[in-house]
Amino acid sequence: MSPIARILTLCLLVVPATAQAKLQVVASVPDLAAIASAIGSEHVDVVCLTSPNQDPHYVDPRPSFMVTLNRADLLVVIGLDLESSWLGRLITNSRNPEIQVGSNGYLEVSSVVERLQVPNTPIDRAMGDIHAGGNPHFLLDPRRARSVAQAIAGRLALLAPNHAKDFNAKLEQLDRQLLIVATEARERFQTLTPGQRQVVAYHQSLAYLLDWLGLTPIATVEPRPGIAPSPSHTALVLRTMRSTKTHTLLQESYYQRGPSETLARLANARLYVFPGGADFEGGESYVERLRKLSQGLFEVLGASNAAVSGD
Amino acid sequence: MNSASLSAPLLLLVGAFAPSLATAGREVSTSSTTATRTSTTPLVPPAPELTEQELRAIEESTLGEPPPASADSGVVQGLSRALQSMNPAMSFILDVAAGYFTIDTPDQRGAHDPSRTGFTFQQLELSVNANVDPFFRFDANLVFGEFGVEIEEAYASTLRLPGNFQLRAGQFLTRFGRINGTHPHQWSFMDQPLVNAKFFGGEGSRGLALEVSWLAPLPWYLELVASSGNPTGDCCARSFLGDAEIPLTGPEDLLYTLALEQFIPFDPSWSLSVGLSSQLGPNNTGPGNRSVIHGADLYLRYRPVDSTERAALSWQTEVMFRSRQVPGDLLQDLGLYSQLVWNLSLRWELGLRYEFVTGVAEDPLDLDWDAERQRYAAQVTFYPSHFSRVRAQVNHDYPRYAEAYWAFLVNLEVLVGAHGAHQF
Repeated sequence: MSPIARILTLCLLVVPATAQAKLQVVASVPDLAAIASAIGSEHVDVVCLTSPNQDPHYVDPRPSFMVTLNRADLLVVIGLDLESSWLGRLITNSRNPEIQVGSNGYLEVSSVVERLQVPNTPIDRAMGDIHAGGNPHFLLDPRRARSVAQAIAGRLALLAPNHAKDFNAKLEQLDRQLLIVATEARERFQTLTPGQRQVVAYHQSLAYLLDWLGLTPIATVEPRPGIAPSPSHTALVLRTMRSTKTHTLLQESYYQRGPSETLARLANARLYVFPGGADFEGGESYVERLRKLSQGLFEVLGASNAAVSGD
Repeated sequence: MNSASLSAPLLLLVGAFAPSLATAGREVSTSSTTATRTSTTPLVPPAPELTEQELRAIEESTLGEPPPASADSGVVQGLSRALQSMNPAMSFILDVAAGYFTIDTPDQRGAHDPSRTGFTFQQLELSVNANVDPFFRFDANLVFGEFGVEIEEAYASTLRLPGNFQLRAGQFLTRFGRINGTHPHQWSFMDQPLVNAKFFGGEGSRGLALEVSWLAPLPWYLELVASSGNPTGDCCARSFLGDAEIPLTGPEDLLYTLALEQFIPFDPSWSLSVGLSSQLGPNNTGPGNRSVIHGADLYLRYRPVDSTERAALSWQTEVMFRSRQVPGDLLQDLGLYSQLVWNLSLRWELGLRYEFVTGVAEDPLDLDWDAERQRYAAQVTFYPSHFSRVRAQVNHDYPRYAEAYWAFLVNLEVLVGAHGAHQF
């Protein structure tokens, strides 16, 4: 009983200290947390439920999240079923009326984004674990993130009207930065040859990144979304990479690397692995993350020139 | 049926779609000017001190160029919105098994256990849920089994009670320990733990009840759950009134359950859940005679957050103690199970389980289980995707009161429809 008693005393000290006027914002993924934090700045405390190296489709619904959600003023999620396998029940059981679906404290940012890969035929899971409402990984595109930032700013202003001016100022600042990142990187990637701009992604999650940077998807390592690579499909990807002279593979850090590494070796290609989100805990901003991502990717794609001539 | 009666519903259907399709068409024209306008929620809800013009000015100065939207995406998004409906989220989960037992009449106790040599239809579960309104959520699990349909669960939960309280009312599985509140398709092994079957019944503790739970305002997760329900049913309240037809006369005849759950996250990868539960209610051996079940549970989990293989290791144990008042005597027994489940990769899982349940000699309330029983189980699971799994399990069962036997089982589980939320 003594550790429990110790924790009890500790919490008696902690509870009054945490009572303050800052808006408590909870985000499902680090990129959202970083955007919310940039806009809310000193008026908000942002907690992120997942880490950048964690697959947001498969998160353990820890009961401790319920405690975090219980105290939230605003919950910001991606939506489109990205978090549905772990977050839904936690929201219901959070006992926080302010963050229930339909409340002002619940913001699903996919509602303001122009989505890609919205299925236009009847869907079925034989197609893999596809998202009925479209691809949810739109924060890999700063142009779409601008709408997201705007929605978050709007919601923060609704919840804390006194700080609306500050939120709008921060939004303007972030918006300008996003526009610069978006335009600069896009122009820079245009200098690559069409061959260099061909890529193979692990999962169908990179549509927005490719759309932003003008890259051409050749194949995915997964045969269908959420279905682990099979030998025959991997062989097909290898043949496709060879015939199309594709020398770059891309994937988020939370996907398995074995098949991609093998493909990179056999196809004389480079594998570029990047975090699934900003290192929010480490203080990285969303803009920094995008810069790092596009910079790293540009170097890998540019270097594939040497690989091509070496063929 | 003539053609006129057929065409009437068709016309209705077209009528229902026409306005939404028209809306979709309108959205195409606006989406080319501002992509963000296609949203259904207001983007910047006006703060009190801002006028419409000010807002417009801010919007213009901050929006800049919209992302180039492909011409047809507006149509498609409009279409998907037209197909939106108020239907609840629904899914079907099918569990079928085949088995070989080394004796003719194996003593499998769970209502959905593979129970004989040959094939067993374990269950087809229809899970339905949705928010009712801003105040209630509805959940139901209807189970189609070999012997018909049962309403396993159908209940409403509150969403907006003050003071960190939540109420559940209807028919539901009692929150007692870790296994009892969950459904067979959430289990690693394909049969119910023996102690749950012996103390609660083949369906687990479940029934018509009212539950109030409270999330303590502490820095960590601590939840108190209290419920009260009918102490009846051989499936679900074996230690209490069971299938005895004894009318209830007042609140003292109800079944009461109290549980305390805590969760301690050591770090993003390691965590521990611990719980204590108790259930108290009348039994069928005479007026005033009661039974009580106390349980303790533990769940230690290691899941490296950044594992690219979704690897995890978890150890789960439940211990229960039961005491029943009978005329001139007090019958006491206990049981436990302990299981280790190792998720090796995206596709493979291994599990080991040990069970031990004592029996009361010549137990008048449990004549066919009056001695100790141990069972060992090992399982291996293959996951073709997140929505299907194939399991193989071997049991070695030692009931002291009957012949020991082996069981070799395989199971297929598939899920279609909405992906329900997992439980920790």
